[in-house]
Amino acid sequence: MEDNKFEFVTIDAEASEHISAPVYSYWKSVLRTFLKSKFAVFMLIVAIFITVFSLIQPMFSGYSAADAPYINDFSRRFIAPCAEHPFGTDHIGNSLFDAVWAACGTSLKLSTVVTAINMVIGIAVGAIWGYSKKVDIVMMEVYNIFANIPYTLFLIIMMYVLGQGTKQMIFAMTCTGWLGIAYFIRVQVMIIRDREYNLASKCLGTPTSRMVTKNILPYMVSVIMTLVSREIPAVIGNEITLSYLSIGLPATVASIGKMVYTYTPYMNGYPYLFWIPVTVLGLVSVSLYVVGQTLADASDPRTHR
Amino acid sequence: MLNNEREVICSLRNVEISFPKGRDKFVAVDHVSFDIYKGETFSLVGESGSGKTTIGRAIIRINNVSDGEIIFKGKKISGKLDPETDRWVVKNIQMIFQDPAASLNERANIDYIVTEGLHNFHLYKDDADRRAKAEKALKDVGLLPEHLSRYPHEFSGGQRQRIGIARAMIMEPDFIIADEPISALDVSIRAQVLNLMKKFQKERGLTYLFIAHDLSVVRFISDRIAVIHLGKIVELAETEELFRNCLHPYTKSLLSAIPMPDPEIEKNKQLITYDPSVHDYSVDKPEFVEIIPGHWVLANKAEQEKYLAQIH
Repeated sequence: MEDNKFEFVTIDAEASEHISAPVYSYWKSVLRTFLKSKFAVFMLIVAIFITVFSLIQPMFSGYSAADAPYINDFSRRFIAPCAEHPFGTDHIGNSLFDAVWAACGTSLKLSTVVTAINMVIGIAVGAIWGYSKKVDIVMMEVYNIFANIPYTLFLIIMMYVLGQGTKQMIFAMTCTGWLGIAYFIRVQVMIIRDREYNLASKCLGTPTSRMVTKNILPYMVSVIMTLVSREIPAVIGNEITLSYLSIGLPATVASIGKMVYTYTPYMNGYPYLFWIPVTVLGLVSVSLYVVGQTLADASDPRTHR
Repeated sequence: MLNNEREVICSLRNVEISFPKGRDKFVAVDHVSFDIYKGETFSLVGESGSGKTTIGRAIIRINNVSDGEIIFKGKKISGKLDPETDRWVVKNIQMIFQDPAASLNERANIDYIVTEGLHNFHLYKDDADRRAKAEKALKDVGLLPEHLSRYPHEFSGGQRQRIGIARAMIMEPDFIIADEPISALDVSIRAQVLNLMKKFQKERGLTYLFIAHDLSVVRFISDRIAVIHLGKIVELAETEELFRNCLHPYTKSLLSAIPMPDPEIEKNKQLITYDPSVHDYSVDKPEFVEIIPGHWVLANKAEQEKYLAQIH
């Protein structure tokens, strides 16, 4: 062994601190994780297709639930699905194809508005509810009272009181609809509230408003996604229930619930009248639900690799 | 150096901290008084649940004081404060947390985490200035400017703890409460973080309140040590004085538990178990007295005489 064959090596302190992984971006990782699920991507395409189609098609078809232009044309009644009428025609000669897309558009618009209102109120109230102990005492009582009323029963009573109409229905659904969301958010906020990084922010004098937007809400993206993906199908379902009971949307508005109600007598003779609207509706609900759930999973950074 | 000549930066006067426990209250810190001098490292040691973290959190105002007062640079900082004093306290007192994994916001990048305090008080001219301050703060703790766009989960425990230190240091505080800053870290990087803290103290004249249970670390870093047991300070002295002349039986038991790096000594080590029944406080109540200058101990009259005889 000769000493001159060895030399001293110095440690480069900076090099040991270097991170070689590419720069992490939260939303890019969400997208990458989402795209990994082929089924969810397929469902996203289905959902986009149905949404776009149900918003655009009624503009060209000129379909209106209020009038029946072909009611005296007996040759147009009960035509089975064919090239001219892809979904066939019904007992008053209307094309089911036009009616389904118009009704689908109504359901989507309604559920978007109701979900948006419920989510905004629910998140805002839930955040305060979870943060303040004084608000918690009051809100818990409010919640205990309203959560014990069956939601469907509440909707039915509200619709009887308010009368039929789109605005009335939105009001009835948002009256207490946000309460469950707020409660869910409250629990999540309480879990996160006393974590050590929030104490650290407090020591740095961070105001409560920024604590909520920077420390609490970013942790709840996946929870919020889950709630949205559950809320949209639930609103569509409630609309159908109410319209089926003839206390939902007025006769002038196309609605899947009303179609199901109208076509139930023809279930045996002309099954397509019943099954096509139901299938389209199922596709809307399932696709939105699957997309929402996959997005919720993808927005949890623990799934990011 | 005589203590009465030194400038007191933070002082606790008869502080009691209690938490509601049903109808009763649980007293976590029982009428504790001590002074922390400017520029020193003051350590609080004690077992889990002794109230050492509670005291640290009361000074930084996470916990409320139920009795007594905390004075910082001559101003009372316990209880309700006006917004201006509040800002002043936040800027001057900062905290380093125990668990670097839990004390950083996982959804914010390092840029935001490090400059959070600057944001809160708008302590920068423009964005470039803020960025420059953040880069300097990272450099001071041995990290790289390119780390600013990274997220906490990409760092090791030691790096994260240094980010926590950078976040506190960017406020340019005078007083730092370090709540077991190294107990969650890997043994191999503990010294790195301690040396970093010492470096900052030398450069900026910082005062530390160091909360720990590892006595060998405490001996390495502190100027004075207070031993706390069940919410009461039982002994307070300068580091070497405490290790040479420990008086209170609880301190003795604590010191006897320090692991020795020599297996022979370790094998034959006599552990002393603290038995509170050695104190007879039924008639003669204990007081926290300065038994010799700079050395305080919790004892009654009879014990004081006994302890005084022990000192060599």
